[in-house]
Amino acid sequence: MTHLSMEQLVSLREPGAEPGAQAARAHLDTCEICRAEFDRLHQRIARLKALPALRPTRDRWPGVRARFEAERRARRLRQAGLVGLAAAASIALLLSLRGTYHAPTPAAVPAELAEAKATSQALEAAIDQYHPESRVLDGRTARIAQELEDRIAAVDSELQMTDLADPGRRETKELNLWRERVGLLDALVDVHLTRASHAGL
Amino acid sequence: MSKALVMDSYLLADTKTVVAQAKAGDPAGFEALYRAFEIPVYNLCRRICRTAEDAEDVLQETFLEICRSIGQFREDGSLWGWIRTIAASKALMRLRRNKYRDTDELHDEVVGQRREDTHLRMDLEAALERLSETSRAVVWLHDVEGYTHEEIAAMMGKTPSFSKSQLARAHARLRRWLGEEVAA
Repeated sequence: MTHLSMEQLVSLREPGAEPGAQAARAHLDTCEICRAEFDRLHQRIARLKALPALRPTRDRWPGVRARFEAERRARRLRQAGLVGLAAAASIALLLSLRGTYHAPTPAAVPAELAEAKATSQALEAAIDQYHPESRVLDGRTARIAQELEDRIAAVDSELQMTDLADPGRRETKELNLWRERVGLLDALVDVHLTRASHAGL
Repeated sequence: MSKALVMDSYLLADTKTVVAQAKAGDPAGFEALYRAFEIPVYNLCRRICRTAEDAEDVLQETFLEICRSIGQFREDGSLWGWIRTIAASKALMRLRRNKYRDTDELHDEVVGQRREDTHLRMDLEAALERLSETSRAVVWLHDVEGYTHEEIAAMMGKTPSFSKSQLARAHARLRRWLGEEVAA
């Protein structure tokens, strides 16, 4: 006796009649082996549906938010006709610095510090997406990017020195430096993104 | 009510308000969408992609696309159905881009030998992981997510017959690897 193939068994689960489905179904009604195989197929699919949900190891939302906001800013700048990269960078820098510089309450410092570090990391990831090291920049863009990178390096040096600061003021100083870093990175994202969108990348 | 619409209300109690917020460009709306659908989207991506890192990248790309395109979502449809299609397309795109070598036959041989030697049976999770990316994607999209062969074929750029034969081959392998063969 020829038993049903896996292809036939699988197609018997489909809604609607496939060619040969009637004969296959008639065979299934009379063959215990094929019925057992069909039951196993159902059980296997039920077990697949019951597998536990897998979860990401880290929160990807900050990265999504940073990239989306950078894209929105670049789009707004394009729509407003502000195509000058220097203007884009300096406006973004001003806005980001003005938006983030406020005096934190002492209790809120650790949480704000953690948020500033996470945002900084997300912005760096956003910059990496554009592979800046492998792209050719025009002279003006390169100068602005270089200037921002130099300032980020200066902030990083200052951050390394915060261990020497007065313990009572260390966290606040660190927070202000991390905020400055976020503002500079934000501007750098805009520089790369505006350039990439003009180049059609 | 369709299964996807049931999933909408299960995952996000106030779908209409959140979608309206997101359509208005409110970051709180976007974040609420992410928090509600992060796990089902990741689970789908992880079942299709080979590595957890790839799946996390696809998760991020999916939500970036959702933020960009929420204006195109028609509210008479299922939000989860819309999000799931974006996630599945992105995950399949990642598979095509990575062009992983299909090692079904190799896995078949190795696992067959191991089973004969040790009489060990694989569990379902391990057996699913052993399938090729394409077969695993078809199994997951068809048997778990409920896509038709026509829909899978459209997403993969293949024919419905390809999807059907991948599914049958995958089940034959799973049956063997799980030690479920019936003596004829």
